Amino acid sequence: MGRRWNGAWRIFATGFSFACFGIGAVLLGFTVWPVLRLSSGNRDVADARVQRAVSRSMRVFVWLMKSLGLLTYEIRGLEKLAARGQFVIANHPTLIDVVYLVGLMPEVDCIVKQALWRNVFLRWPVYWAGYISNETGEGLVAACAATLARGRSLVVFPEGTRTKPGEPLNFHRGAAQIALTARVPLRPVTITCDPITLFKGNSWFRVPPQRPHWVIAVGDPIPVEPYLNEPQALAARHLTQALIRWFEVSIKQQLGGSPGAPPDAGESQHRREQ
Amino acid sequence: MQSTQEVFEQLRSVLQDLFEIDPARVTLDAHLYNDLEIDSIDTIDLILRLKELTGRKIQPDQFRNVRTVGDAVTAIHQLLQQKPAAA
Repeated sequence: MGRRWNGAWRIFATGFSFACFGIGAVLLGFTVWPVLRLSSGNRDVADARVQRAVSRSMRVFVWLMKSLGLLTYEIRGLEKLAARGQFVIANHPTLIDVVYLVGLMPEVDCIVKQALWRNVFLRWPVYWAGYISNETGEGLVAACAATLARGRSLVVFPEGTRTKPGEPLNFHRGAAQIALTARVPLRPVTITCDPITLFKGNSWFRVPPQRPHWVIAVGDPIPVEPYLNEPQALAARHLTQALIRWFEVSIKQQLGGSPGAPPDAGESQHRREQ
Repeated sequence: MQSTQEVFEQLRSVLQDLFEIDPARVTLDAHLYNDLEIDSIDTIDLILRLKELTGRKIQPDQFRNVRTVGDAVTAIHQLLQQKPAAA
């Protein structure tokens, strides 16, 4: 089987996978999810039920793409995501990063951009799962901090959108603002994909020359305490700069092929000895 | 009555004080969001500080169309023409 055949197969299979995703989102969005949503009058209980079901369907989607030979992946430090009430931040190289993350975390709130609330396929899952809309602007930080205060987990991509390959990381300060307001540590997750695919501005049918491999590495928590005694506007700037530096180092190491040596490796070593 | 130049200088020092923005970057045509990275949360802090400094009430729509430093200077200058709010 030649290279061209392999490429053609992966284009077809990618289209098939995405079609399944859209059809699945609509079918489940009119059946299982609303039923789960209405299965409890308690909003948190209902959200959690739908979110667990969404998480399961995300895992099925990743399994489908893997089974069709479209991707391989490895997860490092998964056990660190097990605890509830975590504030997870991740870099955002590809379209399906959130699919992995939600699949790995059975109950997690997400911020969903306005465009998806209007997307015919995705509006139902994001609505039934009780995800947070980014429409509210200034109220968004407070809404996210409140979610964390209720003991729920939240995942945020501080870049706000996918990374433009070749450009420096650009984080908005919202993630830092949420952590500072809620006074919770940030749990960093470094996502890399090699060769890069499904990046910003890249069409789904432009499949890479080889099968892409994702590495999703969960890091050790980044505390906010060092930033709490300055005004929040400045603290958010300093913390955001620190987060960008952390991710730049971590992404570089991850793509450089040194297995599992996060920037704060010394600290995690120390913790293990305790 | 402050001149627009004085308002501009004062805004520069406020931006340095609140957000550590280098005054050299604060020019009249600098865009608050694109060039100076002042986001919507910063805007709330900035308006609070301007309320304190000017002693005037500020309606949100007075700053709605502000995009550049020059726009902000004009808006603050207009604000100063109003009567101070009763303390």
